[in-house]
Amino acid sequence: MLTDLLYRLRALCRRRVVEAELDEELRAHHDAAVRKHVEAGVPREAAERRVRLEFGGLDQLKEECRDARGVAPLETLLTDVAYAGRLLRKDRAFAAIAIATLTLAIGASTTVFSVVNAILLEPLPYPDAQQVVLPWRLAPRGVDVGFRDLPWGRREFQAFSQQTKTFASFAAFVGDGLNLTGDGEAVRLGTARVSAGFFSALGVPPAIGRAFTTAEDQPGREHEVILGHRLWQERFAGDPAVVGRAIDLNGAPYVVIGVMPAGFAFPRAAEMPGSFSFPKEPDIWVPLALPAGALKRGEPSELAVVGRLRPGVSVREGQAELDLFARQMEREFPQAKGWFDADARPLARQLTGDTRRPLLLILGAVFLVLLIACSNVANLLLTRSMARARELGLRSALGAARGRLIRQLVTESVVLSALGGAGGVLLAIEGIACVKAFGPASIPRLHDVSLDVPVLLFAFGASLSTGIAFGLAPAVASVRRSLGSALREGSGRAIGSAAGTRLRTALLISQIALALVLVIASGLLVRTFVHLVRADGGFQAAHVVTFELTLPPSAYPDTDRIVRAYGAALDRLRSIPLVQAAGLGETVPMGGAGESTGVRIPHRPVTRDDERPFANYTIVSPGFFAAVGTPLLRGRSFLESDTADSMPVAIVNRAMAEKFWPGQDVVGKAVGIPIAPFDMTIVGVVADVKHVTLREAPGPEVYVPYTQKPWPSMQTMHFAVRVNGEPAASIAAVRAAVAAVDPRLPLANVATLSAIVDDAAAQPRFWMYLVSAFGVVALVLACVGLYGAISYAVIDRTAEIGIRLALGAQRGEILRLVLRQGVQWTAVGVAVGLAAAFATLRMMASFLYGVQATDATTFFAVAIALFAVAIAACYVPARRATRVDPLVAMRSS
Amino acid sequence: MASSRLPLPQGTLDLLILRTLSLRPEHGWAIAERVQQISQNALQIPQGSLYPALHRLERRGWIRASWGVSDHNRRAKYYELTRAGRRRLESGETAWRKLASAVGRILEAV
Repeated sequence: MLTDLLYRLRALCRRRVVEAELDEELRAHHDAAVRKHVEAGVPREAAERRVRLEFGGLDQLKEECRDARGVAPLETLLTDVAYAGRLLRKDRAFAAIAIATLTLAIGASTTVFSVVNAILLEPLPYPDAQQVVLPWRLAPRGVDVGFRDLPWGRREFQAFSQQTKTFASFAAFVGDGLNLTGDGEAVRLGTARVSAGFFSALGVPPAIGRAFTTAEDQPGREHEVILGHRLWQERFAGDPAVVGRAIDLNGAPYVVIGVMPAGFAFPRAAEMPGSFSFPKEPDIWVPLALPAGALKRGEPSELAVVGRLRPGVSVREGQAELDLFARQMEREFPQAKGWFDADARPLARQLTGDTRRPLLLILGAVFLVLLIACSNVANLLLTRSMARARELGLRSALGAARGRLIRQLVTESVVLSALGGAGGVLLAIEGIACVKAFGPASIPRLHDVSLDVPVLLFAFGASLSTGIAFGLAPAVASVRRSLGSALREGSGRAIGSAAGTRLRTALLISQIALALVLVIASGLLVRTFVHLVRADGGFQAAHVVTFELTLPPSAYPDTDRIVRAYGAALDRLRSIPLVQAAGLGETVPMGGAGESTGVRIPHRPVTRDDERPFANYTIVSPGFFAAVGTPLLRGRSFLESDTADSMPVAIVNRAMAEKFWPGQDVVGKAVGIPIAPFDMTIVGVVADVKHVTLREAPGPEVYVPYTQKPWPSMQTMHFAVRVNGEPAASIAAVRAAVAAVDPRLPLANVATLSAIVDDAAAQPRFWMYLVSAFGVVALVLACVGLYGAISYAVIDRTAEIGIRLALGAQRGEILRLVLRQGVQWTAVGVAVGLAAAFATLRMMASFLYGVQATDATTFFAVAIALFAVAIAACYVPARRATRVDPLVAMRSS
Repeated sequence: MASSRLPLPQGTLDLLILRTLSLRPEHGWAIAERVQQISQNALQIPQGSLYPALHRLERRGWIRASWGVSDHNRRAKYYELTRAGRRRLESGETAWRKLASAVGRILEAV
């Protein structure tokens, strides 16, 4: 065993010596054999010939000896790698193009994989996260309330959490905002009100202190708070002694009972359905303290719920129990039939929801780039191996086995791809930095992306597999070809060997086709983006400052005082010289969804609950529409004269007018909401305003004035102030105006409306840039491929071109001759690409806005552009063909 | 001329080489010649198999190589049997005899 190892080691490390010894040994044998024949009387030359025949292929014999030494595989690999290195150094242009292509492709795919890995593949920071589900309620089939995921009502939540068998914990939570007052400047804290089982459902207990008990989750006992890690660090200097102290929230004392670990921030607005209003990131958690007993009239359904399934219970079993529960509720409340269905959504799917599909799109795009790069390098290799046909033919004639030659060629391509992979990793480092710098904050976990072990493994795997993928086909093709023909052909090149040319053409055409698909995809996304930012959102974003104001109930306990405070603030704001208009509303455009409610429309009988009309219900002030720039289409706006004592009025949006009063004049019609006994008179119609995303089609919406004691509470309102000039410059004056009303009121989320719209456009913009970048890369790669192919064709046909010129052909004819080839290839590639794009890009439909997935304009514009670029890539080598000197050309063959 | 010779049965090459080297250390050419002589030209080791076999045996530690000077005053690689090689030869010989006699009995019985 030991001798074996030592022997192999010597054979490996002192390869040259061992090889020399083998040479000497064989030569000695040869000489001895010749001598024997000569002594027997054979002439020397004949003797040598006979011995050579007896030996057979000398190289083959040596190869077998090497195999017998037992180090062949490793040794061959080293030889091949060294040989590949020599070849690449010799052929610098080829090596540079191939490595650059691979660097680009592997760098791009590694960057994208690092994003996919961080967002979709890394485990969630919750233990046994697969057991955590968010069972959103669903609207009955056929009823459009504007949103897909609906909140639970208190009645259903309390009933289900008491009877559930499949969930170990089942908790409800809602978003809120509380003012932290007391020491230091007042700030508004992102708040989640959560029921007692919330932290155990997520499986994350506080790092310090404890979670809420069921006893604390009761009305009147809820004055306890758990701090988020960041707030604890920034406001309380990370002092553990803060637990047990009281802090002032909305003017009332709350006892700190715990601090959450760093990184825990659930629920985040970006990860929750857009129809709920959660803080960007919660700073504190307070008890939800749901009352017990029967529902009050008009009590809203606003609960988000989260549950942890018992160990071993599947999501499907949880869903089954939710379905049973829905049937049970329908028996108890038959008129609400259809409103109890819930969809048990796994936490992971909820958190990555909106990002998952664009990411898969990007993954598809980068896969196409990788394919194009592979076929590009395969083509380069094939072209080069044709030039090497003679070398390969000679070596196989000298006894090199076919497998051995293929192995060597594949080693060459793997060396190439390893170099490309190394470059790719460097590129990916830059790429990841770019993604972090330009990626929108609303993509969850994007900023955790890093070049870690799985990503490096991916880059390694991608390099290796591309090396084998693009190396194997050309290697097999060229070895098979070279065995017979290369030597016979005599010439240095195997001209037009049919199989090789077909493969090359196929690769070239597929490159053009793939690039076309990708460029069309990015074209569609660019058009989508243009439509999105140009789309009429029902408001004018420029020159508007917005902020949120929360009036704590301790200081503003009733509606009268609230309305007076808001009115005073609006008056102060309007008296600022630069302010054109100021108003307030429950939400500003793109500021999040408002309340959705069933509406009562006289003379429109409703027999079943699922026929009940729904509308968004938004409280606004006079001046609001002027401030956000929503055009008034009919009638009048709200006036200061609309007060609690005057006639109740409402304004509806165009969608509501068209849906419920088609073809009629709406002004003067009546509309009601279930909570209020009196109908309101519609006094105006405004344009449809987008609330959550730029691509939404706004549904019916009814606006009511804040001065007419509307339902529900108006504790938190959004202000919009339209100013002359730069809005950011007016922020100080705006703050001063509010402080003049009550200096204890903090302004939250101060932003310009343009910035809010910009945030909403950030994700589509990011995806568009990424796909477009890949489109450009694909186009460049395809052009490089085409350029190379035409160049090669020109070199291949130099002799022919020389003869044609010598026989009197015009240079223009030669140019056409060469270009025709490029045009043919491109035309086929474009045709195939158009068909492929037509077939596959339908999958993109949900990413698009204002443009069809099979948009003819985009398809043909891109096809023509690609055609032009492709012909330009052909033109340079074609020009070279016309400058061929006939004499030189003919001599070169 | 090759046709008059017997083909070398599978697996016997190692045995022949070890047996030849058990007499005294030899270089490759001499091993081939010796086998041919002793078998009275009935067996010939093809060069194509001899050297790979020598390298394989050396790797297994049954023979060991050293450089010496041949009869014709040339540097030559001499192979000699190691102790492991001798054991291998003995077990190989026994196995071969058993096989040969078994085959012989069957051939005679039919």
